[in-house]
Amino acid sequence: MTEHPSPREGPAGIARRGASSSGPGPVVPLGRTPAQQLDRLQYLDVATRRIARGMDLDETLRELRWAAVPAFADAIVIHLHDPLPVGDEKSAAPVVLQLHSIDRAPEARTALLMPHAEYASVAERVEPTLTGRLAKLLLAGRPAFGDAPGIDPAVAELLGPAASAPGTLPPGRRLIIAPLHGRHHVMGTVVLLRRPDRSAFTGDDLLVASQLATHTAIGVQKAVMYGHEASVADTLQRTMLPSSLPEPTGIQLASRYLPASKTAQVGGDWYDAIPLPGNRVALIVGDVMGHSMTSAAIMGQLRTIVQTLAGLDLPPHEVLHHLDEQAQRLGSDHIATCLYAIYDPISHRLLMANAGHPPAVLLRPNGHAEVLRVPPGAPIGVGGVVFESVEMPAPTGTTLVLYTDGLVESRDTDVGTGVEALRTHLQSTPHRHRLPSLERLCDRILVALAPGPRDDDIALLTARFEGFPPDSVGYWHLDPHPLTAGQARRLTRRVLRRWGLDALLDSTELMVSEVVTNAVRYASRPISLRLLRTDVLRCEVTDDSPQVPRMRQAAPGDEGGRGLFLVDRLAQRWGATRLSTGKVVWFEQQIPKGR
Amino acid sequence: MRGRKATSVSRANDGADYGSLRLDRSGQAEAFDAIGDRYDEAFPHKEGQVGAGDWLIKSLDPGSRVLDLGCGTGVPTARQLTDAGLEVVGVDLSRRMVELAREYVPAATFHQLDLADLRPGGPSDLGRFDGVAAFFSLLMLPRAEIPLALRTIHHLLTPGGLFALSMVEAHVDDFAIPFLGNTIRVSGYLLEDLHKILDTAGFEIVKESSYTYAPAVADVPPEEQVFLCCRRRD
Repeated sequence: MTEHPSPREGPAGIARRGASSSGPGPVVPLGRTPAQQLDRLQYLDVATRRIARGMDLDETLRELRWAAVPAFADAIVIHLHDPLPVGDEKSAAPVVLQLHSIDRAPEARTALLMPHAEYASVAERVEPTLTGRLAKLLLAGRPAFGDAPGIDPAVAELLGPAASAPGTLPPGRRLIIAPLHGRHHVMGTVVLLRRPDRSAFTGDDLLVASQLATHTAIGVQKAVMYGHEASVADTLQRTMLPSSLPEPTGIQLASRYLPASKTAQVGGDWYDAIPLPGNRVALIVGDVMGHSMTSAAIMGQLRTIVQTLAGLDLPPHEVLHHLDEQAQRLGSDHIATCLYAIYDPISHRLLMANAGHPPAVLLRPNGHAEVLRVPPGAPIGVGGVVFESVEMPAPTGTTLVLYTDGLVESRDTDVGTGVEALRTHLQSTPHRHRLPSLERLCDRILVALAPGPRDDDIALLTARFEGFPPDSVGYWHLDPHPLTAGQARRLTRRVLRRWGLDALLDSTELMVSEVVTNAVRYASRPISLRLLRTDVLRCEVTDDSPQVPRMRQAAPGDEGGRGLFLVDRLAQRWGATRLSTGKVVWFEQQIPKGR
Repeated sequence: MRGRKATSVSRANDGADYGSLRLDRSGQAEAFDAIGDRYDEAFPHKEGQVGAGDWLIKSLDPGSRVLDLGCGTGVPTARQLTDAGLEVVGVDLSRRMVELAREYVPAATFHQLDLADLRPGGPSDLGRFDGVAAFFSLLMLPRAEIPLALRTIHHLLTPGGLFALSMVEAHVDDFAIPFLGNTIRVSGYLLEDLHKILDTAGFEIVKESSYTYAPAVADVPPEEQVFLCCRRRD
């Protein structure tokens, strides 16, 4: 804004120049001499450009008010259609006008234009009668003088009963009522008033008013469309982000999403947390380049692709490889960055691959923060790039911070400086006896690194590793043969006894037996049986057959087909997931209290 | 469940029991040549193995001869036994592992050999031993060969000699698995079956311990490790 003249000086300045050339007084009416005509044109030029510059509704109307008062009129009353029509659809609903704003020059002293109390007399909400003069005026779309024949009822309808009292309105041609007419709709009205001691509007002034109204109407329509698109994109983006994070055992999660300050600036940031077999969790953060509805739509598609790939339990570099391939099918010019990590709470390890995304930061329990230097890789959508998974220890109590560039990059800060600022902030976060909760950590990070208005959206995902000890796991490979179910039952019994879970012995043995029997039927390679004890007892049976079992009604003579019904009855939760190497069928039971 | 140190290679098919078997060691030693030192990084916790080594040290007289079958890098077992004053001979199928073992445990003797070469009447004879350690090495053999390997160990031990064995509990035979960026083939028994074949091979189990072990690498799943301390019965 600084490069432009201050709003009040724009058109008012022109008016004053007009004044200096044509006589004394603070504001002199624009006249008809060539110089005055030139002034009028210059005024219109500046005023319309300012009105056109407004990005949103309020800005556009503010520019109109500042352009009109005091250079052209002493007071302005703006009403807007409520609700403002979006798009080209014709609405059957009757027109309702809502007072938007009033502005007046300090010198304006008619009763109507007195400050505060008297403003109340201007109608807040106007419902023009269908056949009334105001409705006709709106429909005609042309501005009219206050003394035009039969205009009084329209003025009264718009400005309220107070306007019809004698002496309320300035005499003569000192009022112009100008409809704001968009492409297909009435957008509102503008009333321009001059005080009694100022010269009346001329016929040329009516043209000026018409110009101001036309440009304002276009600006309002543009702002409405723009705002509509932004809100659609914003809704689109929000519905594509996880509505809530999963709560897997062995890891705590918290996340934030902040849109860019300008609502029209929709981003393509996303994050996700996806539970994998073996109580591992995939942690994802990504960013589609650009700020548009398209970015949000592409983000939604990429997020779905990542979820599908994660479900196959592929290593991080392969997820990114396939994501890259799929992204190119969505179109040649969609570039995104993505960081994909897998946390394994049993081995206490983190596996991570990066596609051009800013590096993750690890906060250790001792308060030391470290930027994880994973090879940055090329962004998704470039194609033909090799990604690399890097493995690192993930000790209990460590916090992983994933974020998008909006957090670390701004007009004044480059990414490198921003990442270092984030690291320093995390390291300086006080935690005398215990680490701050993740929710607090997220808030603190945002307050410290993204305090003001933002050019870009921000996604933030934090994960604290809790892990669990190896003796809470049992894991075996078993060659598929007719005796495998019995072996699996015996292994299950042994481990459950070791864990003191005798109460779950019968149900677990039964379910393990059913699921293993089913797995053995189709497997060609050894199956695996995995038992995990956390706050629940989880059993996973993996085999190399891609066929995912579905619950079906067994016919009375069928030998199989009842297994999953049994699991469905006995387990608290169960599921079957396709993996890149086959499938896993899992079920969970609540561990009785006191164990 | 993961294979460990590569032992045994035989090119010849002589000898009664091995006669019907085609020994296929392809890739096994090469995998460990490539893995080298990374093996110890992936499996840093060796409490079970060190415990079984302590049992040998405690139960054998000083200066006793001990064979470390599938010695790997020599760490921790060959070093532990050597440091305790035992005379250690280490054997591994992987050339690289033997090189590393010679470097890490200079006081012990190492041979690049296949376990099958040590069978009765086989091409290599390292003499008799008071103790044999085979930690995660027999699982590199196909199941059909494991009873033969146990018989060879029986033959290599003096009467009453001690045998410390570790395996990963599983029921698989020559199962190809990804392992530290390579592929190896491994076999395993469930505990009850392992008891049976040890008994059949002439061993008495003195004590047994098992651990759930999570390797320090994310792509190797946790495994059930079994340590068996045995004595040659006759």
